[in-house]
Amino acid sequence: MDLNTGTKQDPLSPRTRRFPQTHTTAQLRERKEKAIKTVWFLTALSAILAILFILLFLLRDSLPIFQQVGIEQFLSGTTWYPSGSPPEYGIFVLIVGTVLVTLGAMVFAVPLSIGCAIYIAELAPLWAKNILKPAIELLAGIPSVVYGFFGLIVLTDVIRTTFDIPTGETWLAGSILLGIMALPTIISISEDAISMVPKEYKEGSLAIGATRWQTISQVLIPSALSGITAAVILGFGRAIGETMAVLMVTGNAAIIPDPIWNILSPVRTLTGTLGIEMGEVAVGSDHYAALFGLAVVLLAITLIINTVAVVILTNIRQRQAGSYSGKGAIMQNLTGRLRRPLIICGLLSVVTAIIVIAPLTIALPVLVVLGAAYFFKDRLKPHTSEQVAFCFITAAAIIVVLILVILLQDIVIHGLPALSWEFLTQSPKDLGRAGGIFPAIVGTLYLVFGAILFALPFGVGAAIYLIEYTKEGNVTRIIRTTVDLLNGTPSIVFGLFGLAFLVYFLKFGVSLIAGQITLGLMVLPTIIRATEESLKNIPQSLREGSLALGATRWQTIYRVVLPPAIPGIMTGTILSLGRAAGETAPIMFTAVVFSQRYLPSSLTDPVMALPYHLYILATNVPGSSTNKYGTALVLLLLVIGIYAVAIMMRSHFQKKLRG
Amino acid sequence: MNSKLSTSLFVTLGLLVLLIGAMAVAGCTDNAKKTGELPPLQKQSIKVSGSTTVLPIAQKAAEAYMATHPNADIQISGGGSGVGVQQIGEKTVDIGMSSRDLKATENTKYPDLIKHIVAKDGIAIVVNPKNEIKGIQAAAVADIYAGKITSWTQVPGAHMPDTNNQIVVIGRDSASGTREFFDTHANGILKGTPPTKSMLEKNSNGAVTQTIAQTPGAIGYVSIGFVDKSVKALPIWWNDPSKAVEPTKENVLSGAYPINRELFMFTNGQPTGLAKDYIDFILSPDGQKIAVSEGYVSLI
Repeated sequence: MDLNTGTKQDPLSPRTRRFPQTHTTAQLRERKEKAIKTVWFLTALSAILAILFILLFLLRDSLPIFQQVGIEQFLSGTTWYPSGSPPEYGIFVLIVGTVLVTLGAMVFAVPLSIGCAIYIAELAPLWAKNILKPAIELLAGIPSVVYGFFGLIVLTDVIRTTFDIPTGETWLAGSILLGIMALPTIISISEDAISMVPKEYKEGSLAIGATRWQTISQVLIPSALSGITAAVILGFGRAIGETMAVLMVTGNAAIIPDPIWNILSPVRTLTGTLGIEMGEVAVGSDHYAALFGLAVVLLAITLIINTVAVVILTNIRQRQAGSYSGKGAIMQNLTGRLRRPLIICGLLSVVTAIIVIAPLTIALPVLVVLGAAYFFKDRLKPHTSEQVAFCFITAAAIIVVLILVILLQDIVIHGLPALSWEFLTQSPKDLGRAGGIFPAIVGTLYLVFGAILFALPFGVGAAIYLIEYTKEGNVTRIIRTTVDLLNGTPSIVFGLFGLAFLVYFLKFGVSLIAGQITLGLMVLPTIIRATEESLKNIPQSLREGSLALGATRWQTIYRVVLPPAIPGIMTGTILSLGRAAGETAPIMFTAVVFSQRYLPSSLTDPVMALPYHLYILATNVPGSSTNKYGTALVLLLLVIGIYAVAIMMRSHFQKKLRG
Repeated sequence: MNSKLSTSLFVTLGLLVLLIGAMAVAGCTDNAKKTGELPPLQKQSIKVSGSTTVLPIAQKAAEAYMATHPNADIQISGGGSGVGVQQIGEKTVDIGMSSRDLKATENTKYPDLIKHIVAKDGIAIVVNPKNEIKGIQAAAVADIYAGKITSWTQVPGAHMPDTNNQIVVIGRDSASGTREFFDTHANGILKGTPPTKSMLEKNSNGAVTQTIAQTPGAIGYVSIGFVDKSVKALPIWWNDPSKAVEPTKENVLSGAYPINRELFMFTNGQPTGLAKDYIDFILSPDGQKIAVSEGYVSLI
């Protein structure tokens, strides 16, 4: 034993006896571990920093309107008329519009997507699964402008002629369109969650004699509930934050539907107002500040709904696991006893609502069906109820595929005539009515890959930190709340933030790098959530086994936990790629020009981009119809190409997983 | 070990393919662009952004200008009049396009902006082609937009076959220069009366045209350049139905059709160099011909 030095040393190691001053490998390893942990902690902080900056920037620019009009008057005023004299800034009508449209979208999307996810995960034959999953992710890659135009040209017309009303621009159109846009997110992540449920649960349930439907509904769905809720929250964020598509189909009339359930009335949402007025408003004016106040209110609504969802989820999970504590146990007792009367009350109110709302011809059949369902629910043989359930689920999958086919055929049929070698390799001429879109293709590729390169390390790092290095506590809750908040931020707010912060404040100017960072911020929440969910699904026994063998934490993560999680991470990346390629609002103010002579030669040059090109063609260049669809088709093909590579990589990793 | 090798091989291959693809694409284009042109050191470039109404003029003029000046690089983007004024005020672009004049707050924030009028823009009242109306009184349009008239039966000469004749009122967003002109300007229609709350708001000329083309009972207002076969532009009369004036470029130029406004380009201080040449080109007879070809009204 060396008495001269005061350091802790292994007395038996020959190395420390010969070199008493060096660190042991154990200490070095520990330093490395700490360093890695700090790196991941910093990436997790990045999400908080981003949302903090965005909030600060929004609050700073919206302060004048709160000072002038007062928060109460702003929130409860029923007239939004900024160009009047005096101008009126009351956003109550807009809040109602947003809530109604998003609620409608969720009612439309959630049952459909969960049904479709169950179909893909459990019922589909292998060939159908291989086609369906990429096809649905393709839905995520359709640009929001294309959705908007599809809604404007096809959807509103269908609604107008079906219901025989003067115009089809209604709450219903907005909800259906937003629901369709949220579908791919919810389906993909739910399907991942359902298929990651351990096989033992399913096999155990089947072994004790449950039918497949009973296994799915009583065992698989509840255990995948965390992933499904994450999926629904992400989908909800997508729906509430969508700007371009919703402002084209809801009519933007600032009125509250009269009566409130009149789904055929035009409405106006907060994001629609932002999208429609932001570009023209005078900077620094009261109208400008009011629009930023809108964005703050929107974030507040997202925060409230996310918190409610998390509370409900925690409640459900506690009920499943039976792990109530203290106050929770008393509540559990109470609610347990109140359950039956509550359900009866709920049913009665639904019945009354239906009788009041719908005309008798619709109300009676609906009531008969509902009554039959309730009556027969427990009286049917399990086999029969399984068949009924499977019918509905297959129908859900068919409806989703039908939607995709309708959208695609619209783009393909109108866009195919525009495709030619010249279209793909030349610059636009005559305002885009002739020539090609080559620089826009290159610009989109640069933007998308830059965004993913920025978002992947931060996103995966943040998720690793949240899952692997910390326990559920206040810090992780705050990080998760801010990530959900970031997810619900409208795309146009990202664009404005990028403009004020990256373009003006950091003096990047309108440049490629500004666009990449803005897009990266926008897709960050999707990547974080998807990675989190896939990491959560790795059974704890794997980690414990690895640690028991003597591996360090980072070695465990790198070699044991990450590889099986890669398919889930790829799903998140794929969804993000599609979204980044198709969004207009974030790049509109930060990175794009409609035309320039040369291709960008450095990160500080502006670029052309396909969704923006499409947007300008569609809104301000008369007579460009063919090229408009041609651009949409090329964007779609580009997204398919990128997806193909990503999906190949994902299925490769999945095959390795299965062994 | 084998599977690990094949994984890394696969990933590297995938990335390599992407990288090569990107480089090939970039390489091809740069070469194609640079052959036959002067070295990039001599290229001048300016950035133009702002109103999407002025964008077609700016774009076509830029194309014509760049065809005769191979060193010039004019980068054009949209974003809206407000964004255009902000960007020229903050000097992140060289020219800011706007379809409306500066507001008071913009004047105080950016006092050095110089206004250049580049074209005139007539605003036409349009309806669905199936509507049987042949001309409309300006006061009737004002009443429709104010919500006082709600059915086509109350407008003389108008009839929508196969519908209940309900009028669908289409307008622009409240920050639009077009709407501001329509709502408040002395030569506009509403002259200060607030439009009805049930007016549907669209964010661009293209969207208004599209909606009117597919909604039988609709009425709206668009730039003359956007009137095509899918909508019917109505001649307007004020006091005498026989003296209805059609919304054409000639009538705007002669003053017979007063519903028109000016389109602007702003520079921060007097323009110099390429910006000056470009604006002079737009104001020249060739440039004004380009504006006319896009459906706008020339100044000369």
